[in-house]
This record gives sequence, structure tokens and C-alpha cells, in this order.
Amino acid sequence: MTTGMLINNVLRFVLLLVAQVFVFNQIAWGWSGKDFLFVFVYPLFVALLPLRTPRPLVILLGFLLGLGVDFFSETLGLHAGALTFTAYCRPLILRLVRPRDGYNIKANPTTEDLGSGWMFRYLSLVLLAHLLAFFLLQTFSVLFLTDIIVKTLLSLPASLLVLGALILIFNPRA
Amino acid sequence: MGRLLRILLNSSGLFTFAGLQLLCLYLIVNHNDTQRQIWVETKSVYGSTLSEFISDKLAFLDVARENEILRRENAALLARIPGSGYNTAVDTIPVQDSAFQQRFTYLASRVINKSPYGPYNTLVIDRGANLGVERGQGVVSDGGLLGIISEVTPRHARVISILHLDTRISAGLDNSAFGTLKWNGRDPRRVTITDMPDYVPIAPNDTIYTTGYSNVFPSGLPIGTVESSEPLPGTGSQDLTVVLLNDPLLAGNGYIVRDLFKEELDQLNRVR
Repeated sequence: MTTGMLINNVLRFVLLLVAQVFVFNQIAWGWSGKDFLFVFVYPLFVALLPLRTPRPLVILLGFLLGLGVDFFSETLGLHAGALTFTAYCRPLILRLVRPRDGYNIKANPTTEDLGSGWMFRYLSLVLLAHLLAFFLLQTFSVLFLTDIIVKTLLSLPASLLVLGALILIFNPRA
Repeated sequence: MGRLLRILLNSSGLFTFAGLQLLCLYLIVNHNDTQRQIWVETKSVYGSTLSEFISDKLAFLDVARENEILRRENAALLARIPGSGYNTAVDTIPVQDSAFQQRFTYLASRVINKSPYGPYNTLVIDRGANLGVERGQGVVSDGGLLGIISEVTPRHARVISILHLDTRISAGLDNSAFGTLKWNGRDPRRVTITDMPDYVPIAPNDTIYTTGYSNVFPSGLPIGTVESSEPLPGTGSQDLTVVLLNDPLLAGNGYIVRDLFKEELDQLNRVR
């Protein structure tokens, strides 16, 4: 891991936290008194961590970022739990979307290294895991399965759209 | 040990995840109202089932102590069922009538003990000297005779059943012919009347009554019906086989007959 990657990741941690808390947490759309559409951008941090990051570290960083979001959203534990789960699932998702000839040993999870199609599939799965975990923790009961599914189905395209735009704009290299 | 360490290291991601996730769940439950309510509700719904299941499985651990407690409780409860109490209610109703002075009163009692069936049947009733029961008083039951009091204690009395080889009761027909009622110890449904004069015409199914001559039973109480008669040659008497109206072996209630004139009549008998 180079110093540049480290700085990049630290910056991403802070900026995504700030963006999520101050911009995207304000976006919520729904009907009959309930919100169904949310936009999550901070899972991008976990998704863009270098491929060779130790698993416990990924999980710990996910937990810390989630906790940071929680502190500003007054939902202590919700984002943290969901992002911990997402970080835990990251290796499984990476295995699912593995290119035919495996990952290059120097590859980073970026559009440049692995292609936009791979990025799209990868981010979709990361967001799916994160949204399902988050809404499950939010409703806190499988009795609200319909709510969980509706929220996921509405939030997934919205978040994916925002993440795609962010990646297009900043085009992270590492 | 090395293998164990390697396993731990290989699944360090899982352990980190589990630990942090538990921490998150703890934070969620403790800092979010909705989730806390759901958690409390869930805990109360499933927690009781779970603890019930567990205590069910562990119930054998103190079964001896439980058994001891239950035995004590059983003993306490058995002492309270109606059968173990002594009924102190007195069921006797003297009748006030100016034309007929009361001679016999009846005291209801319950049979609380019976000897095993044999030639010398006795029973115990739950009325005694406290209520004026005395030796020699008769006991009748629903529809027939039961026996005669032989022993009295303050609260109980022993009754010699009419199904006792020593029982002697004066019994007769409604035409004043009378004899002595005995039991031959064979058939609990049949008794014998001896010393009945052989000139008295007897027909089967004649009813046998108490005579009242012995001051034990009132006169005119039906005892049974004649089944057959057998003259005894050379004695001038005949034996009657009588089918009892009641079954003394099955009696559960007895009415103690008290003769209010007994002392007066005894005085007459004492003068020779």
C-alpha cells in the first residue's frame, strides 16, 4: 500500500462521511408518512478499499465509518451494523464477480483496472448487501419483509445512480 | 495448538465481524426507541418459551425436593377433604304433637368402618355418647334394619350388624305372631326367624315387621318378606326364611333409634 493510496482512502473516508451526513441524509422520499427511498454513498469507501486489505481491517474500517455516520444521524448502531455486514460480505462479492482470469495481483477495484461493467455489478451487489442489512436492522423484524424489499428496490437504483455519477466525476485511480 | 491458531487466524474476519456486529446490535437496542421496543417485545414473547423449555429440561434436578414438598402438601390436603372430618351436624328432629308423645327419635349417622364380611359382622358409625348414643340402641337404615349398638365412645359407636351370629331381634307378622330373628351366617340376603308357633298360617311373601317388644326398635318397621317356612317336628314351632328388604353389607347411612321411654320400661322389667 503506497502513501498515496493511504491518503486517498483517508480522504475518501472523511469526504464520504461528510457527504452522506450533510447531503444525502437529507434525501428521503416516501408516501403515507413513511420513507422508502434513501441514498447511501458511504458503502463506496468499503468497496474501493484495496483488494489486498486484511479482512479484519476492512470490517473494522466499515464499522468505524458506519459509526461515524450514526453519530450524525442519531441512529447509533444502524449504519455501523449494516456496513460491518457489507465489509464482511466484500470478499464473497469479490469472488462472485471475479473476472475469468482472476484478479491481477496489483489490481485495485477501480473502473480503470477492471472495467465499468465489472464496477457496475460489484457496486450493485455491495449496495444490495448493505441495503438489505440496513433495512433489516432499521425495521428490526422480518415481519416487515415487504417494507424491507420495497425500500431496497427503491433505494438500490437511486444509490447506484449517485455512486456512478461520483465515480464518473472523481474517477478514482487507487 | 498451531492448527487451532491457524483456524483462528483464518477466520479472523468472521470473529471481527461477529464481535462488531454484536456491538452494533447492542448499540441499536440501547439507543433506538423502535428497535428497543421490538427487542423487548420479542424477548418477552420468546424468552418465556425459552426459559420454560430450559426449566422443563432441568426439572429433574430437584425432583426429590419437589416430591417432598408435594408429599407435605398432599398430607395437608388430605386432612381437609370431607371424609377426614368428623361431621358435627346433628340430624335429629323431635316432633311436637299433643296427641302423640314422642317415643322414638332418630339420629342420622354415617357408617365409617365395616368389618370384613364374615360370620360376625360389625360396623362403626360416627355418632357416640356425646349425642346420647347408648349401648343397646337399634340402628335402622334405608328400608330395613342395620344392627344394635354394642360399644360406645364419645364420638363413635360400634354396631353389631343383624348379619352377626349373636344377633337376636324380636320380629313378627302383622297379626301379632312373633319369633326371634337370627342369622345363620351363610347368606347375607337371608335371615331366619325361629320360635314362630307352627299353627300360625304363613304364606310366602308375607311381610315381617319389628314387634317393638325388645325396646330396641319401634314396632312396625318392615324387615323383609317370607321366602319359605319349615315346621320343626316335636317343638311346636316353625322356622321362617326371610329375604331382607335392605342389604346391610352395603349400608352407608344408619339412623340410631333412641327410645325415650327406655328407663321407664326397664324399671318394669326389673320388677319380678
